[in-house]
Amino acid sequence: MLKLLVVDDEEEICDFLRIFFEERNFKVSTALSGEEALRKVEVEQPDVCLLDIKMPGLDGIQVLKEVKRRYPKIKVIMVTAIETTEKIEEAVRIGADNYITKPLSLEYLEKDVHQKISDVA
Amino acid sequence: MINYPEALKNAAKSMVRFKNPDNLLRMIVRFIAKEIGLTHASILVFDTVRQRYTFIDSRGESKLPVHLIRIDSDHPLILSFMGKGKKPHLYKDALLLSHLEKFVESKESSRGIKIKKVFDSMKSIKASVCVPSFYQGELLGVLILGEKKDRDDFTHEELSFFHTLASDAAMTIKNTEFQSQLIDRNRQLEEKLAEIKRLRKKEQETYFQIMLSLAREVREKDDSTFGHLEAVEKLGLMTAEELGIDLSGKKRDILIAGLRLHDVGKIGIPDSILKKEDKLTPEEWLIMKQHVDKGVKILEPLTDFKDVVEIVRCHHEFYNGKGYPRGLKGSEIPIESSIVSVVDAFHAMISTRCYKKGFSLEYALGELNANSGEQFHPKVVEAFISALKKNMYGYYKSRISEERQIQHEEKPNTI
Ligand SMILES: [Fe+2]
Ligand SMILES: [Mg+2]
Repeated sequence: MLKLLVVDDEEEICDFLRIFFEERNFKVSTALSGEEALRKVEVEQPDVCLLDIKMPGLDGIQVLKEVKRRYPKIKVIMVTAIETTEKIEEAVRIGADNYITKPLSLEYLEKDVHQKISDVA
Repeated sequence: MINYPEALKNAAKSMVRFKNPDNLLRMIVRFIAKEIGLTHASILVFDTVRQRYTFIDSRGESKLPVHLIRIDSDHPLILSFMGKGKKPHLYKDALLLSHLEKFVESKESSRGIKIKKVFDSMKSIKASVCVPSFYQGELLGVLILGEKKDRDDFTHEELSFFHTLASDAAMTIKNTEFQSQLIDRNRQLEEKLAEIKRLRKKEQETYFQIMLSLAREVREKDDSTFGHLEAVEKLGLMTAEELGIDLSGKKRDILIAGLRLHDVGKIGIPDSILKKEDKLTPEEWLIMKQHVDKGVKILEPLTDFKDVVEIVRCHHEFYNGKGYPRGLKGSEIPIESSIVSVVDAFHAMISTRCYKKGFSLEYALGELNANSGEQFHPKVVEAFISALKKNMYGYYKSRISEERQIQHEEKPNTI
């Protein structure tokens, strides 16, 4: 079973994406903060991480740095409402595998997650 | 039990009240979620700028994260409402999950695959019913409803209630959208007009500046008197103030322009006539007099300065009607032109030119008085002399006595 970690400070978003991907046969865990995300990454070792950028505390960019440093094989897709190019450029430079801006198309998100996983194989 | 007709009436009343359709849509969603007892009620609205559907609001215990999801225009859910002909997958024009289920089983056909996609996407947004909001064939929004908390099927009455709400909502959306488009278009037009106005004003101002430098050139060429225009302006303003003429706003600028530009037409007079030291022949005089019409022609494009053109046109008219070009008299002549006439004559008389020395102050004032009521407007002469005595008599007295040694007997030209 493919493992997915959803990181977003909005619980509603975490829950929604958890159900969405569980129904598509993923094992999903969620994290409401950057700190929680780093703990979950260590425990769960997900295949893909959906990472919000704007969060209080450790933000998505910092989490991305840490994840890519420790587990370069984990695919990270940034999910962000910040459409400012600097943030996205920074994320891509650090090693984000893709980025999707909110509001997103669920079909596109699903496709992208599958694609990133097949990139691994 | 809900009284649907009553609820509709109330909703209709509210619609009139809401200026912002978003507020109305939120009210509808809240009303449905609460009163009908749904797991959630949400509304998708077409974003005309980005050409896609986004959620305006979602209510209920399993509400959707409205900022997270969008539905593109080519999404199966949207497409399922589009196109002509019969749509057997719809139930009373709406998407009903329980109705779609029947089609999903036969998923061999290409239509079956499409319907499976619609089915899946409805499930992913936890929708049991999707009611379209059409307005004249345009899908402006979709009401997306979860299941009833008591898990009952929706009744016919409920479905038609949703339809009425959805189409009323569409009408409201369209109305406000249409109005805001109108407002937008008006604003754009206004901005364009303002821009044209601004450019035109700038153009006029540039033209005006060119005129001023032309006038200066003419003066320098004409009698090499430095500061003549500045002096004429100063004396003219002084006289106008003494006369108690209204100089508020643009009026002051108009008078200044008249004082400075009255002889701008001399640019079109040959140097041989303009600079002639001997008396002009009658033929040369005719040409010289044309400087008035030439000045008018030069200034006419300045539509913002119509009054200036009038001042220039009349600056050689005589109070007694014996001036040119039209022989106007008395009050037919703009008072500003009469001022130009007096101060220009005065300054010409006292100025020392390359070929003559200036007259004395007493002589110049004597000439003005002598011609008062004939060439010059008597009130203007009176006001000019009184203003001069108040403000600048001493200045001119000493300046002229410095410049002047010989007093000419000859009558001055005051062109
Ligand atoms: Fe003149
Ligand atoms: Mg966030």
